[in-house]
Amino acid sequence: MVYKRRKRIVLGKVGLDAHDNGLRIVSKWLMDSGYEVIYAGLYNTPERIVQVAIEENADAIGISFLGGEHLFYTDKLAKLLKGKDMGDVKLIIGGVIPPDDVDKLKELGASSVFTPGTMRDTIISIIDGILKG
Amino acid sequence: MNKERKFSFYLEGERIPNFKSLSGIEYKEVYTQSDWHGEVPNPGQYPFTRGIHKDMYRGRLWTRRQQSGFGTPQQSNERIRYLLKIGQTGINMDVDVATKLGLDPDHPLAQGDVGLQGTSLCTFEDMKTLYTDIPLDRVSSTLIVQPPCSAIVMAQYLLLAKERGIPWENLIGTIMNCAITQFVGPTFEATTAFFPIDLTIKIGLDVMEYLVPRTPRWNIININAYNIRETGVNAVQEAAFAISLAADYIKGLMDRGLEIDSFAHRMAFFSAAHIDLFEEVAKLRAMRRIWARMLKEKFGAKSNRSMWFRTAIQTSALALTAQQPLNNIVRATIQTLAAVLGGAQSIHTTGYDEAYSLPTEESHKLSIRTQQIIAYETKVANSVDPLGGSYLVETLTEQLEEQIWELMKVIENKGGFIQCFKEGWVEEQINEARYKWANAIETGQQPMVGVNIFRDEDEDVKINIFRHTPDMQTTRIQYIQDYKSKREQEPVRRALDKIYNLVRRRPDINLFEPIMEAVEARATLQEICDAMRQATDFVIPS
Repeated sequence: MVYKRRKRIVLGKVGLDAHDNGLRIVSKWLMDSGYEVIYAGLYNTPERIVQVAIEENADAIGISFLGGEHLFYTDKLAKLLKGKDMGDVKLIIGGVIPPDDVDKLKELGASSVFTPGTMRDTIISIIDGILKG
Repeated sequence: MNKERKFSFYLEGERIPNFKSLSGIEYKEVYTQSDWHGEVPNPGQYPFTRGIHKDMYRGRLWTRRQQSGFGTPQQSNERIRYLLKIGQTGINMDVDVATKLGLDPDHPLAQGDVGLQGTSLCTFEDMKTLYTDIPLDRVSSTLIVQPPCSAIVMAQYLLLAKERGIPWENLIGTIMNCAITQFVGPTFEATTAFFPIDLTIKIGLDVMEYLVPRTPRWNIININAYNIRETGVNAVQEAAFAISLAADYIKGLMDRGLEIDSFAHRMAFFSAAHIDLFEEVAKLRAMRRIWARMLKEKFGAKSNRSMWFRTAIQTSALALTAQQPLNNIVRATIQTLAAVLGGAQSIHTTGYDEAYSLPTEESHKLSIRTQQIIAYETKVANSVDPLGGSYLVETLTEQLEEQIWELMKVIENKGGFIQCFKEGWVEEQINEARYKWANAIETGQQPMVGVNIFRDEDEDVKINIFRHTPDMQTTRIQYIQDYKSKREQEPVRRALDKIYNLVRRRPDINLFEPIMEAVEARATLQEICDAMRQATDFVIPS
């Protein structure tokens, strides 16, 4: 039997918005599904999130937004990841995101965008797909 | 869900998954005299179960108070004036997250959030701009901000009144000023990361103590039950947490030597109306009863007005969905009805676009029209407490009241709500409730149309979304930088030094006046907060 390391995901919020209902719930769902969650909590800078991802050797970063700050910060995060040659670390975005911005976030570098009302199985199967192998 | 399944639903007989209330009370098949055969005093009579006034909405409709605030104070002023023009009857002013946390727009961590969820309000001049052409003594304002910044924003407002020659005793409105729950509910990290918690609570009390003798028509606090509820807890927890927290504030003011009847009538609440219609009505009736009894029996209030549980209501956004957003209009209408049947003093009907953005002008207008239709067309406001005497609603009121008292006792035995918050007990309760709520939706036990039932799989949502102007944030950052460089610096330095020294050396002194002096000297919001942070060696995230 080959030992298979559990996939590691850094979850957090960046900037000043503190609405973390969704993040807390998704965090539990991911742990229940066998992921290792590094919970970075609130009030992070993009730099700090990327630093945590490096230190924790994470496979993905999941960031939750609510107040309309998603484009500003996703752009920063994606550029930081590229700049540090961490393009293989997947960027996953969730939260209150207007429909028109979902594609914009993907263009900026998000692997997936989850908006409110996405069911647990959908989230898990999409993240499984992104991180498989 | 495919067509076949829908068809078989019909053949089987369509049934809902359970008959529980949102808080888990089992609704009976039918309620009769055997469930309730009590008597309940008339509206306007202790313990005010049926309403705090004898005539309620016949004498005066509830205040239509839609939250607003975004971008620059100039932009928010335009939106407020629009809302007043179309029939809003009170102002409900939200500040942005940076302002709430005591940061100016040019702070590195604030830049991405400036003006997004409220207006940026950092200087005395900002307050002047925000209230341009709005008469402070003729329209009531709720200022949504918690300590320590509630002291700064309140000072801006009082200074503006002074400049306009309006006596403070004529000011009508509310400073939210709730130290523990105002931000995003009583979650620990959110509430403690940017300011020392004990000083936050202390400044909240300072604000109340300062206002009580000076602004007799102004509410010194809104205990924020709504934000507690929006974390996912149930109606019992919402009520028990909020009233227990209010008891802590009351004790704090009485410890300072204030007499209960001098201030209790200026304390009010801000509560949620969720989607479980009867339970929400019963909750508000139970809260009125509990507040009245607590004030009278525990705190020795003599005046009826101290025993009036007055509440603003916002319809809960947790009940709303991103899927099929027009459905939210229906939900918010029913929730607004719950608030009216429950006897609320003012109502904010949450916009159908809540799961996407701040409300557009169109959606703001629809919320106001929803309330106007209920008020003027449906006749539900014609008689006071129309559900009073209903076997079901009276039974639920009693059941909820009992459970709320029980939970309040648990909290009191643990040292009070603030203690429970500091020890992490509240945080545990909230997280448990969040997972439970999510699980109820996952399993379908809490049906949500468009989400876990009747979902349109390939839904392509078409919705008009509110967008900020692209240069709003840079405008604000530039503004605050210019402001700080162009003012006279010496008075600012003196005022900030005074605050620093008082916090450092005279921790018991009321800080409201020194803070007002600093605002008058043109210190910014963050500078005032920083003086207090430095005095307590407090470090914020970076």
